[in-house]
Order: sequence, then C-alpha cells, then structure tokens
Amino acid sequence: MESEETMTQEREIEAEGVVARLIEMATDSTDQEVDPRLLKAIKSAARSSDNEVRDAVRALMNQMKKPHSQVRYLAVLIIDLLFMRSKLFRTLLVVNFDQFLSLSIGFRRNLPLPPPSTVASTLRSKSIELLEKWNASFGIHYRQLRLGFDYLKNTLKFHFPNRLENAARLQQERREREIRSKQILLKKFQNFKESYSLIKDKIQSTIDEIGECIEILHAKGDDEFVSYIATDDDELEESRPLALQQIRLDALKEGQKVYESSENMAIFDVLRELLRLLISKHFPLVQKWMSVLVRVDVTDKFRDTALKEFIDLRNHILSAKEKCAELGCVFVDGPVQNDDEKDLWEDGKIEIDGPGESSGPNSEAKDSVNTVTSNNDKAPALHANKSSDTRFLNLPPEKRKLLSIAPVVEWGPFLDNWGLNRDAPANQRGLELESHWGRVDSDAVIPAEKIAELSVHRTVYKEQPVEIQPCNAPLKKGGLCQRRDLKACPFHGPIVPRDTEGNPIEQIPSSVESKNQPSASGVIDTDQDLDLDKLTVERLFKQAVKNVRESDIMKKTSKRAKLARVREHNEAVLRDAAIASTSYSQAFGEREEAVEDNRMGRKTKKPTLNSMLRKKITAKDRISKRLLSARATDASIHQLMQGEDLKYREAFPNQW
Amino acid sequence: MWKEVRAREEGALPPNSFASRIRSRRTSSLELSQRKEIVSPHHGAVNSLQVDLIEGRYLLSGASDASAAAFDVQHATDREGNGLIAKHKSLFVVDKQLEFGHKYAISSVLWYPVDTGLFVTGSLDHHVKVWDTNSVQVVMDFKMPGKVYGMAMSAIATTHMLIAAGSEDVQVRLCDIASGAFTHTLSGHRDGVMSLEWSASSEWILMTGGCDGAIRFWDIRRAGCFLVLDQSRSQLGRRPPLSTNTVNKGLTSRMASSGQYSAKGLVSQRKSSLGNTMKQLPSLRKGHFLSKGSTVQRLHPGMTSGQNRATAHYGAVTGLKATGDGMYLISSGSDSRLRLWDIESGCNTLVNFEAMRLQTSKGMKLAVNDDSSLVFTPCMATVKAYDLWSGTVKKTFHGHYESVNCCHFSSLDQELYTGSNDRQILVWSTPFSAAFEEQDREKVCSTDQDNWSD
Repeated sequence: MESEETMTQEREIEAEGVVARLIEMATDSTDQEVDPRLLKAIKSAARSSDNEVRDAVRALMNQMKKPHSQVRYLAVLIIDLLFMRSKLFRTLLVVNFDQFLSLSIGFRRNLPLPPPSTVASTLRSKSIELLEKWNASFGIHYRQLRLGFDYLKNTLKFHFPNRLENAARLQQERREREIRSKQILLKKFQNFKESYSLIKDKIQSTIDEIGECIEILHAKGDDEFVSYIATDDDELEESRPLALQQIRLDALKEGQKVYESSENMAIFDVLRELLRLLISKHFPLVQKWMSVLVRVDVTDKFRDTALKEFIDLRNHILSAKEKCAELGCVFVDGPVQNDDEKDLWEDGKIEIDGPGESSGPNSEAKDSVNTVTSNNDKAPALHANKSSDTRFLNLPPEKRKLLSIAPVVEWGPFLDNWGLNRDAPANQRGLELESHWGRVDSDAVIPAEKIAELSVHRTVYKEQPVEIQPCNAPLKKGGLCQRRDLKACPFHGPIVPRDTEGNPIEQIPSSVESKNQPSASGVIDTDQDLDLDKLTVERLFKQAVKNVRESDIMKKTSKRAKLARVREHNEAVLRDAAIASTSYSQAFGEREEAVEDNRMGRKTKKPTLNSMLRKKITAKDRISKRLLSARATDASIHQLMQGEDLKYREAFPNQW
Repeated sequence: MWKEVRAREEGALPPNSFASRIRSRRTSSLELSQRKEIVSPHHGAVNSLQVDLIEGRYLLSGASDASAAAFDVQHATDREGNGLIAKHKSLFVVDKQLEFGHKYAISSVLWYPVDTGLFVTGSLDHHVKVWDTNSVQVVMDFKMPGKVYGMAMSAIATTHMLIAAGSEDVQVRLCDIASGAFTHTLSGHRDGVMSLEWSASSEWILMTGGCDGAIRFWDIRRAGCFLVLDQSRSQLGRRPPLSTNTVNKGLTSRMASSGQYSAKGLVSQRKSSLGNTMKQLPSLRKGHFLSKGSTVQRLHPGMTSGQNRATAHYGAVTGLKATGDGMYLISSGSDSRLRLWDIESGCNTLVNFEAMRLQTSKGMKLAVNDDSSLVFTPCMATVKAYDLWSGTVKKTFHGHYESVNCCHFSSLDQELYTGSNDRQILVWSTPFSAAFEEQDREKVCSTDQDNWSD
C-alpha cells in the first residue's frame, strides 16, 4: 500500500514535468527578477519537447491564478521569455488570452489584481508593455493578440508606452536633422564655390607678403649679428650667474635670429599685422572650409581640387607662422598669453617667466623684474620656514623639552599677562572720561591679586569623544544592527565585539591571556593573585549563568520536540482517517506538506511571499487599536456621562 | 478528405452526405479566424448580425450606437501584413447623422429574405425602418408602441412579406412592407416580447418569446395563439420517427427525410443516455388536448389559450431559434437555461444543456449550424457550441472581451460571426482554408517560428 502510493506520487511528479516544478520554484521568490539560473533551466527544459511546453503553459496559467501579485509578476516574466521563443507556447497561450490579460492586467472590474498593491501596479505596467511588444512582433499571426491589444487600447483606453513608435519617431527626427544639416552644408558649399578663388587669392597674397617681409628681414639681419651676441652675453652674466650655461646656449641660438630694432621696426610691424590677419582670420576660415569640404556629400572634381588646394594653403599658413615664430613674432599666442600674465599679476602670484618667451630686446628689464620677483618670493618662504619647522631648533635643550611636554592651552585674554605678577592701570587706554559724573582717577590701579582672580583660567570640560560601537548583531532581513548603545542594545542584549558576519567573538580567553601574560613575566605577586582570584570568580559566575541558560534552552527544545512529535502524530492520524480512500489525495497531502516544509526552511533565510501580503502595523494602527478598543470607548463614554451628570446636578441641585 | 473525394468519384458516397461530411468537419474545426477580420465601424455594442440568405455574402450588423453597417464577407476590401490579414471594411454605415436614421440603439437588423435590396432595422427609439440598400435611404417607417426588442421575417414566405416586431408592448405587431401598415396585432403576452421566430416549415406560423417567460405560437391566419409552451410538459428525447405525426404540418418531403435520417442516428444515443423512451408520451399528448379543450370561460375558440399562463422559462425568454428543418425550437431564458422544444408536440425535450451563464438584460441571437447538430449560444464573454441532442459543450470560443450579444452562422461558408459589447465583430472559421496557399505558409513561417537561439 505504502509503496504503491509513493509510486503513484512519483509518477505524478514525473508526469508533471520538470518545467512545472521549475516554474513553481522560480515564481516563489520576492525578487524583482526571476533567478537567471532558473530561467535558463526553464528555457532549456521547455526547449526539449512539446509536452514540456504544454506543461509550462499549464503551470504558468496556474501560477497566474494565484492570488498574489508577486507570483503573477514572475510568471509573466517567464511567459514573456517563452512567448518570444516558442511558437507552440504562443499558440497555446493565445487560446485563453482574455483570461491571461484579466489576470495580468486586471482590466475586469470584478477581478482586480491581488495584493500587494505595489507589485500589482508593476505587474500591470509590465504586462501592458509586454503586450505591446508581443503585438508588435507577433500580432500579425495571432488575432487574439490583436484583439486584446485593440480592446485595451481603444475600448478601455489603457495607456501604452508606445515604445516602438517612439523609437521610430526619434529615428525620423534624427534623419530629418541630418538631411537639414546636409542641405545647409550643400548651401555652404555652393557659396564657397562662388567665393573660392577670391579667398584663395587673398590668403595666398598674404602669405606671399609675409614671405617677402621675412626675406627682407633676413637680408638685413646678417650684419647685425655679432653685436647682439656680445650684449646678450654681458647682460646675462651679470644678472643670472646661476643659470648661466643653459641661458648661454639659448642666447647663442637667439643670436642667429633677427631682432627688431628701430631700423626694421616698420617691417616687423607689417609682418605682425600680416601675421595677425593670417592667424586670426584666414586660418580659421581655411579650417572651416576644409571641414565643409570634407563633410559635404558631393562627388565633384571641384571639391577634390579645392580640398587639395586648401590643405596646401593651410600648410603654407602654418609654415609662415613657424617662420614668424622663429623671428620672435608669435602673434597668435601673444595676446592670449599676455592676458594670462595680467591675470596672474592681478592675483598676486608671481611666476618666473622664461626669458625666451617674450620678444628679445627688452630682456634686460625683464631680468631685473625677475630678480626682484625672486627676492620677493624668497622672503616669505624663509619666514614661513622659520615659523614652522625650525621653531625649536635654536632654543636650549631643557626648554625644548619643557615645551614639548607643556599643555596646549586655548587662546584667551589671560595669555596677555601670563606669568606676570604686577598691578595694571585701570584706565590704560588713556580715555578722557570728562563727562563722567563721578570722580575720575586716572592713576587707579588694579592690584595683581585682583587681576589674577579675574584671569583665572576656566575651560569647559569636554568629554573625550568616544566612538560608540554599533551593536552589529545580525538582523533577520540581512545586514547588521546599526544601533549604537553604550552597553546593551534593547533588541540584541549586551554589546559584544562581533566579527563581520555579526557572530560574537569570544573575548574572555584572549583578555585573560593578555592579562596573564604580564603576570607570567612576573612583576608583582600579590597583585597577580588578586587579579587571578577576580578573574576566576568572574569566570565561574559566567559559567554558572551559561549553564543555567543552556539548561533552559535544552528544556525548551525538548518541550518543542515533544510538541512537534505530538502534532506529527495527530496529523498522521487525522490524515489517515480523512483521506485514506485514494492514493491521489494522499500524495496531494504529502506534497503539500513537502512544500510547506520547504517554505518553513526558507522562512528563516529570506522574506517569503506571505510576508509581502502581511500588512505592516504602523504607529497609527496601534494608536487606533488602542483608541478604538471597546474598553477605551466604554471608559470614555462613562467619563463623559459622569461629566454630564455632574453638570446636571450642579444646574439643578434641587432635583434628583 | 481525399479518400472521400475518391469515394465520391466512384459513386460510393452520395453527393449529399459528401457535402454534409465536409461541412460538419469544417464546422467542428471552427476557431477564431487569423486571416479574416471585420473592421467594426460601431462605437457601441453590436446587437444583431445577419448574413443575407440569397448570396450568403453580405453581413448586416446593428449596434447600440444607432448605427447599422453592411460588410462583404467574401471579398476583402483591404489586406494587411503582407496580405496575410484580409480586412473587411463596411460597405456602408447608417447612423445618427443620417436624416432619417435611428436615434437610439438598434436592437435587431434583418435582410429582406428574398433580396439584398432591402433591409430592416428595429430600434429602441420605437421605430422599425425599412431601408433601400442601394441608396441607403429609409423607404418605410413603422412607429411601434414601445422600444423594439426583436424582429423576424419569414424566409419561406411566398404569400406575405410581414415583419413581426416584438416590443416593450405586450402586443406583437406584424408590419406589412407591401402596404406600409400593421396587418396584425397579436395579443396574448403579458409583458414585452424579446424574441420572435417564424416557423421554418410553415409560412403562417410565428413563435414569440416574451419577458413573461412564455413562448407562444401564432397562426397568423387565425385569431389568437394556438399553443403556449410549458416547461413542465415534457417528452423524453426526440420525436418518434413516425411519419403520421408530421403529416398535418405539411412538411416538405426533404425535411421529413432529413428528420428521419437524423432520427435514425439517435436511436442508439437515446438508448444509452436517456434510458426509458416515451412510454408516457401518448397519455401526455392526450392530456394536452384535453386541457386545450376544457376551458372554463366561454371565449372565442381561438382566444382560449389567452388564459394559458404556462411558462417556458423562469424569467424572460431572451432568444428563440428554430432548427433548419423546422421541427425543433431552441429557447434561451434569463434563468440561464437553454431548452429544446419539439414544435410539433409543444413538449420540452428535457435535453440538459450543460451549465452556462447567459446575459439576462438583453435579447440575444442564437445560431444553429446547417444540419442542426450544434447550437451556438452567447455565454457572457464566450460563445459555446452545444450539441443539440445531448447538451454537451462541444467547443467554447474565447475571443471577446465583453458579453456577446449575437451569433450568426453562415451555412454557405461554415463561418460563425459574433457580435459583442466590446464593439467587435469576430469571424470564426475553419483554419484549413482552400485560399491558404503554400506561399502564404512560407510567409508565416518566416516571422512566426521557434526562436531558441539564446
């Protein structure tokens, strides 16, 4: 009999299939997502055969009928997975599609979605989203899908997220923007075509002019070469003896350059003007046109040639710029850098500029400035050094020692006459108190004792900040208790050091050892004895307490076990009596039990579906419970009646 | 199927049974049509549907937004999704905007039985209107004493063209299209009349079901009703296959033969399911005639049944449908019952139709398939196909999202049309269609396939 029953049970489970069990497992969770491993398992199981798919549909619809939104939500997620993959699944699900929709979206008024309400709302929005997706991808083949979608959208006016259309619209917008920008580019290109030769000529002429200028300069510069070297060297040797080597090299290089002087100033001016024009106007122009040419979508001979020429032009400009830079005419960077320098000066930060950066002729002045600035720089730095690091260095050793141990006292007026023992004038400021009514004694003196009395140093006692350790006891819902109490947490008892998991670390032995160790080294015998005595007493006491507790626990557990045994027996008897008739019901009962056990086992670990359904008791609820309890209302009514009675009696004292 | 074609070629299978076999196979495989879609122009519940009786091509629908529309169910107006979905848009719509249109909900629509040039609409605004289909104009207007709940025209009438209209009023009126006047006022019901049906075997017999729960039979050539169906008067099983019973009704030979044919099949069924046969039937029938004869008051002989307060249903009779052979009547009531009546004897055949829940507030249109083996009944948001003789549910059609009001079975295409409160008109057809070509199949497969790739 027994074996037969187990056999049938097994067969049933076998028939039910792997998928059904997997689905049951996957939907029994409080997470927002289905466990990916289970999901994968479901997928592979469903993939194996058509029967499994049929089972999956049946199991999922059963899950969908459960009065718990979380279960339904997870079931919907699994349905989506299979729906997007299996044709058979689709055809099977679609047969009862109205039922599915009413269970997942809850559009029927008499069949609202079950609690918890937060999950229910996510379930609804998710299902609507999924329905839209399904309709978009498979609507053509399944009239039921179309019908359901149409009904929800057009009859019930549900709001669909409209993912697909939104995406299409975005794409459309992007395309339009691109077309517009292309048109603009094309227009620019046309403009450019017209003005191309003009621009080119202009730029070319500027470049040519620059070239000419440079040529002229070079022709002139050759004969001034030697004298410059001499002067430069002298100056440098005088002012900067330290960086001599480096600067000399620089100077030698610079010496070969042509410098501006009164003779060639005009040329330099022209050159500078031209350079400015070239860099500030023509160069960006060339860049712009080049980018236009690169981006424009025209396959044209003109475009290629123009692009080539512009690249050449740009190279010319760059080379011209370099040449000018060699001459010391850095115009583009010039104004910007100048601005920077100004800012720096305004901020009061002093920096040493490299000598080669500015144009050569006024290097003398520059150097002098440099020396000044370096002096200025040095002075405060030295001061700072003195004040910070080498404060005690020049003091006698005993004083240093004293200073190191001296207490730090907060600043106060009493520090003014610290250690002085003399009288102070009462009116030390020399104020003339002429209009004062009383006698004015300008020589009044406050005696030293009084001053000492007045300047008694008071400080507010400040407790040493102690960090209160958190309780750190493990919580049921995961994590550690973060309550900070001094000695005992109201929830988790006395605060003991715990490890990262929240398990208490047995500290007594270690402390004992640490205490014992110095005693072992042998310092004072009596003390040690005393200590040991104390320790043993303490330990004994703790042991006793522990023993008592353990015995208590033992008693409790044994009691519980006994109760459990009794219950088990009762249940067995009841079951036998009630459902001895069919093996099916027997199996059913046992399976239920197994599930129950499973749940019980899990309860300790994580929140269950039931806990989601349970309403949280808020303070309001508690208060209302208090206030609305029968006793309280009775009492208040009684009180009110009494009050009224009293009033009545006062008002009509002659009546009963 | 090919085997049958071969048998038919060889002459082993008579043409009639070949056709009926194919038909019944197609009927039994009905499901929501994936490719045929009727685009409902209605903004309210679809109350009534009818396919014309001549070509079986034009579907007429009446809705509660006072609109009526006609569709061509054989030729699609539009195709969608690579031509997979055939959309049937309305050929014309008549609604409130029309000058002579109805003001309130249309409760029933009818094609003129012999021609699609005319159709009739009855509305809750107390009017029955006759329309010219081609010009979409009202050609005749009958003002009824109350809201019109139902109408019927006889499909076999050769001597009259009467619209029987049942309304809030207790009297059933017969509107004559030929003269534009009421020819008859049939009084006998004690409450409004929801459903009417002309006999399929005699053009003068009208059957009406009222909100008082009575089903009355009228012979329009005589005064008063001649029969009131009584749910407590019953016979077990179908009528005995005696030709003498059918003589006085003057059935056509075709119907008689078909009756006999179907009765033969039933003998075994009756033995198995119903046990004892109709031993008591003769006595019952005698009693029936006795009761008819013994009236207390002396009335006009035709009016005697006016006193008969027998009921066919507890509550209102919401739908009536005669079988194609004109021998049986199916009635549905607000007591959520379906009853099958023997028209000849007027007895309840006690077929127990399985549990159902019917809409109670509105009249509804039942449908019967062409060999009268199935009855399609709107059951809230679903349609159930019951086996007519055993009462078991053969199939349940899920697809509508709100209560279904009407179904109509087109015997030409073996298609079922249903109209519902969710404003949709759905087509239910067999998935094996001749028009479904290989090419289409390929198209389907390209997008609707298993996709286990990841």
